[in-house]
Amino acid sequence: MKPDPIDDFLAKAAAPPPDAATVRAGVERAQSAVLGDLRPVRPLGSPVRSALLFLAAFAAIAVLAGLILGPHGFHVLSALQRVLIFSALCVAAAVAALACTRAMRPASGASLSFPSLLLAAVGFPVLFAFLFAGYNTLHFVHEGIPCLVAGLCVSIPTCLLLLPLLRRGFVLDRRQAALACGTLAGLAGLAMLEIHCPNLRAIHVMVWHVAVVLVSAVLAWAIARLAW
Amino acid sequence: MPDLESLMCGYQQADEAAARLFIERVSPLLLRYFLVQPNNRRFADDLLQDTWMRIHKARHTWRRGEPVLPWIFAIARYTSLDSWRKSRRLESREIQVEELPERSASTSSSRAPDLDAMLAVLPASQREVILLLKVSGLSIEEVARATASTAGSVRQKAHRAYRTLRALLRGKNVEA
Repeated sequence: MKPDPIDDFLAKAAAPPPDAATVRAGVERAQSAVLGDLRPVRPLGSPVRSALLFLAAFAAIAVLAGLILGPHGFHVLSALQRVLIFSALCVAAAVAALACTRAMRPASGASLSFPSLLLAAVGFPVLFAFLFAGYNTLHFVHEGIPCLVAGLCVSIPTCLLLLPLLRRGFVLDRRQAALACGTLAGLAGLAMLEIHCPNLRAIHVMVWHVAVVLVSAVLAWAIARLAW
Repeated sequence: MPDLESLMCGYQQADEAAARLFIERVSPLLLRYFLVQPNNRRFADDLLQDTWMRIHKARHTWRRGEPVLPWIFAIARYTSLDSWRKSRRLESREIQVEELPERSASTSSSRAPDLDAMLAVLPASQREVILLLKVSGLSIEEVARATASTAGSVRQKAHRAYRTLRALLRGKNVEA
C-alpha cells in the first residue's frame, strides 16, 4: 500500500502506548491467572488431519445409515450417476470438513462455513437436474416428508457426534462453527438418502434430499445463535 | 531476545519464564488495541484478562511456524465482540431513568477525540481493519488471518476507510 498523509494523522492520533502502571497491573493479573494453571499441552494436529477426521466421521455415518436402512437407491442408480453423485458428495463434504477445521482454530484463514453451504445448496440441485428427469408433483409432499425426516434423523445425531471433534480445538465464532458442522451433518443425511432412497424423480431429489442439508445447517446455526 | 514464536512454544511446554515473558511482551499490544476502541476503553483491563484466559485455553491450537500475532488478535477480537454483545444485551434490559447522571471526567477521553469521531463514521469492519493495520501494526496478510478474511478483502476495506478518512480530514482542514 502506498504511503498516505492519513498515515501521519493515524500515527499521531492513535492511542499512545498505555502508561507503565496500567500495563504493569494488567500483566501481573494475567501472569497470576495464567501461571497458576501452567501445564504442557500437545499442539493440535495438522489441519489436513483434522479435516480427514471430520470426513471419516461423515463417510462412516452416511454409509452405515444407508446400509442399515437398505441400499435400494444405490442399486437403481446407473454407473455414471453413482460416480457423479458420490464424487460431488465427497467434494462438498471435503469443503464442509475444511470449514469445520477452520472454525476450530483461531486465525486459520477465511471462513468457509457459508461457502460450503452455498456450494451444497446450489450445486446439488443443478447436478440432480442434469442427472434425473421427472417433474411430476403427484405425491410430492407425501413421498418427500419421510425422506426429509429420515435425512434429519441421520444429520442431527451426526451433528452431535461432530461436536466432540470441534471441541478438540477452540471455537471463536460459534455460529460459523455450527453452520459448518450442520452443513457437514446435512451432507451425511443427503449421502444416506442417495444410498437408500430409490425415488429418482428429479423434483423429489432436488427438493427433499437437498432440504436435509439446508434444514440441518440452518437449525444448527439457529441453535448456536439462540444459545450465544 | 527470543521472538514471540519461541516464547509461544515455551508457553505451550509450560516453561514459566517463557510464559511470563510472553505475557509481558503481548499485553501492551492487547491493551493498546482495546484502549483505542471507544466502546471497549472502559473495560480494557477486564478484556485483557479475559483475552488471556482464552489464550490460555486455546494455546494448543497454535502451531509452530504460524504467525503468533494474528492468532492472538483473532482471540482478542472475539473477546471484544462477545463483550460488546453482552453489554448490548444488558443495555436492552436496562430501565431508563428520567434524569441522566452527570458524566464523570474519567469516562470522557481527552485523548484523540478527533480519531474517535472520525473512526465512528466508518463501518465496524473498516474500523477494525484500520485499527489492526495502523494501531496494532499488523500486515495486510496478518489482519486477514486475524479477521478470518482474505487479503483482498482487507485491502478493499482499508482502501475504502482511507478514502472516507481522507475526505473527512480534508473537510476538517478546510473548516480550520
